[in-house]
Amino acid sequence: MDYSNLRRQITFMKKSFFDQGYLDEQFHQLEELQDESSPNFVEEVVVLFLKDSPRLLSNIEQTIGKYPQDFYRLDSLVHQLKGSGSSIGAVRMKNECSVFKAHCNDRNLEGCRRSLQKMKREHATLKQKLESYFQLLRQVGPREHAVNSRN
Amino acid sequence: MGMMEENQRERMEDATVDQFPEGLRVLAVDDDCVCLKVLEALLRRCIYHPTMAMDAKTALKMLRTMKVKFDLVITDVRMPDMDGFKIRELIGLEMDMPVIMLSVDCYKKVVLNGINHGACDYLVKPVYTNDIKNIWQHVESRRRSQAISHMSRDNANDERVHPGSLAMSKDSKNKRNDEYDSNKNTESTHSSTTQKIQGWHGQLSFKTSF
Repeated sequence: MDYSNLRRQITFMKKSFFDQGYLDEQFHQLEELQDESSPNFVEEVVVLFLKDSPRLLSNIEQTIGKYPQDFYRLDSLVHQLKGSGSSIGAVRMKNECSVFKAHCNDRNLEGCRRSLQKMKREHATLKQKLESYFQLLRQVGPREHAVNSRN
Repeated sequence: MGMMEENQRERMEDATVDQFPEGLRVLAVDDDCVCLKVLEALLRRCIYHPTMAMDAKTALKMLRTMKVKFDLVITDVRMPDMDGFKIRELIGLEMDMPVIMLSVDCYKKVVLNGINHGACDYLVKPVYTNDIKNIWQHVESRRRSQAISHMSRDNANDERVHPGSLAMSKDSKNKRNDEYDSNKNTESTHSSTTQKIQGWHGQLSFKTSF
């Protein structure tokens, strides 16, 4: 297997995440926290986010559908998603959560609905990109993860 | 005081300083599993001893049973069963311990609310290693002010208070004030400073009902 080619691919892919604004500096922070004692830390955190966030999105969707509207609960759910997303560096999702919260503040249901659709799209794109990225990383091997996590 | 005794005392103090703050026992509370996992890793990286709790009830139970004597509590502000401000109040009533607030909210109102509720610091998510590295100062500052108040209570003789310790406690307080300022204002090393500036200028003025 041509590891140098694979590593180049990985580097390029990761750079595109930052250039296209999907991830921010927090992702580097996660890489810094990865070491011999937790060699798969970054993937574990991302997988945890991707596993937990659909539940939040589904709760948000259910809450939007309720009548009378509960904007406080909606804001709480989005607030949690914002915190969660920011912890992995998912900057687009974080920003959309801020917009969503502003709509909650204004009691703008239509705005909330639009934000939710946008967040679902962002989530799906991020999930696809990160899953491909970690799939490639796994091909390179666990030792390469810890050593080359900053590449 | 003889020179020998002074040197000996300095060496002992250095030895204590060298080990501390490693092993700082931190109770971290956050209802979000992703935030909690990252926070735990940050705390371990600073060689602290973290204990994690996903809700206020569990956290308070841990504090009250005192199986582990914690040095400091870091708590998320917004949680379903109880908010961080309430936790801070209860901790203030039942036990004397520094409490740091944690939130993705960076609005001045919320930060001031935290400080008004007696939080010794307010960290904005996502927290960085340097934020966590500095939390020991709150524990140290509290220890010194407690030690000084014990000393002045037990012995009115001021000669026993080492002049150096007063200066250091003042420094820690200044550092803490700097941290307040850096959290309240926009002088942050975070790359998301722009986000925070927007928050401070009150463009998003949601009133959180704590």
